[in-house]
Amino acid sequence: MKQEHFVQRHQPEWIAFEHWLDARGESARKARAERRNWHGLSDADMPSRYRRLCQQLALARRRGYSPVVTDRLQALMHRGHGLLYRTPAPHWRRAAQFLLAGFPRLVRAERGCMLASFALFWIPLVVIFAAIQWQPELSSSLFDPAQLMQFERMYDPADPARKLGRDSGTDVAMFGHYVWNNVSIGFRTFASGLIAGIGSIVVLIVNGVMIGGVAGHLQAVGHGDPFWRFVAAHSAPELTAIVIAGGAGLRLGLSLIAPGQRRRADALVEGGRRGALLCVGVLAMLVFAAFVEAFWSSIAWMPAWIKYTVGGVLWTLTAAWLLLGGRNLPPEDAAP
Amino acid sequence: MLDTYREVVTPEGVALHLPAAGPVPRALAWLIDFLVRAGVMMAMGMFLGAFGRAGAGFYAVAMFLVYWFYPIVFEAMWNGRTPGKRSMGLRVIAANGAPVGWLAAFTRNLLRVVDMLPLAYAAGLVSSLVDPWGRRLGDMVAGTLVVHDARPREPQPAAVDTALAPSIALRPYEQVALVAFAERAPRLSEARQAELADLAEPLTGARGTAAVTRLYRMANWLLGRR
Repeated sequence: MKQEHFVQRHQPEWIAFEHWLDARGESARKARAERRNWHGLSDADMPSRYRRLCQQLALARRRGYSPVVTDRLQALMHRGHGLLYRTPAPHWRRAAQFLLAGFPRLVRAERGCMLASFALFWIPLVVIFAAIQWQPELSSSLFDPAQLMQFERMYDPADPARKLGRDSGTDVAMFGHYVWNNVSIGFRTFASGLIAGIGSIVVLIVNGVMIGGVAGHLQAVGHGDPFWRFVAAHSAPELTAIVIAGGAGLRLGLSLIAPGQRRRADALVEGGRRGALLCVGVLAMLVFAAFVEAFWSSIAWMPAWIKYTVGGVLWTLTAAWLLLGGRNLPPEDAAP
Repeated sequence: MLDTYREVVTPEGVALHLPAAGPVPRALAWLIDFLVRAGVMMAMGMFLGAFGRAGAGFYAVAMFLVYWFYPIVFEAMWNGRTPGKRSMGLRVIAANGAPVGWLAAFTRNLLRVVDMLPLAYAAGLVSSLVDPWGRRLGDMVAGTLVVHDARPREPQPAAVDTALAPSIALRPYEQVALVAFAERAPRLSEARQAELADLAEPLTGARGTAAVTRLYRMANWLLGRR
């Protein structure tokens, strides 16, 4: 069949399909609202029309028709393909379920990477803290004197009017700063895991050393009390989130190094999908931590026992959430 | 094959040819997006500057959103196009040709961190030059692809009305070349048309404008315009 005859014979079908795509394919909500006013190709006929179109494109290519025809058919087919095979829209209503149940399950499913990340973060932290108690001058090899002065000023027990953990800045300003700074660190910790996990390992160790160094120095010079009162509450979600982001990064790096029985590309896609889901939870944890850090942790007049009680409650809740969350859920509901 | 088409065989057994985009248009799109983002942040700075120190907090939150979520939200909600990509005619799609989802958009933009290493997207550039479909590392992990949007081709009216059967039977690829000539030549200069038509002298038995007209008529015959 000559090209012109082919076009003439099938043109009305293509135009009807194109009309359907323009009117019904753009948004599901609009399509539902206007279904009574629609008199073209019916929705139920679309898949079979789409398959006819695919067959016509295959024919057109086989017969060597010109790009005017094949490009037009391919454009129509691509739009139809996008509608039929698109990623399902996320269930926003199930976001809470993901955070409460799916996320802890995902963390537990990656427990090997999470434990490795936990060790990479907490062992340097504790070792440096202990080392500074034993040799206080070690802190000056980690930080320069100006930084040490600043830390001491921020947690000065002789200055009760000062807000804890602050050099300057209001609660709202610090909230913004913590969100920007901490979430960026969390995301970078995950993403840098793509370099065979090395990036995540470096970030975890460096953060462990820094936090251990600050805590150890302040404890050694006798500024420990305001420091512990400051960090008691928000440290639970914040440090745990960094460990989880590191674990997600290690998972990603591991799927590059040891893809198992899959192609490396497929293993990476799966590692990226799980890592991104974990990062959604890390984002929520770090925003919550920033909120606590800005509006609760800095209150200096609160008696120490309240601060430590709240800190204990938050640590317990975080641990219980991650260890027990979503235990009795059927497996297929874990991902959103 | 020199083309950077990615062939995706759909479940219907027909291949989609997706024209993958190279690093240069993507860098330009990034630059446009960067300027848009910088403009938004400057406007926010002027607006929030009026609120003093609390304004600094909102500014940091705005910076966080614009830095991390501007590409994610646009790609997921605007059919794979940020304003920069839209102006360059680019689109992010999933590797199977379907529109990109939220999670894939999130993944590919988080992994910009690695593509930016060690500076100025060097890792991403190397990766997109090595990969046959120009994907940066984030695209590989997210299972996405940046493609050129297809430009609609308007069917051209025939340059001449009459048809002429070729004197010899043409092979399929020769027919394709002839039809392609008839569709594209009207946009070339007359001298260039004649120069190209002269190559087919054994077929047309003529040179210059006469050869061009004969080729047009043969293309009409091949297309079935009688």
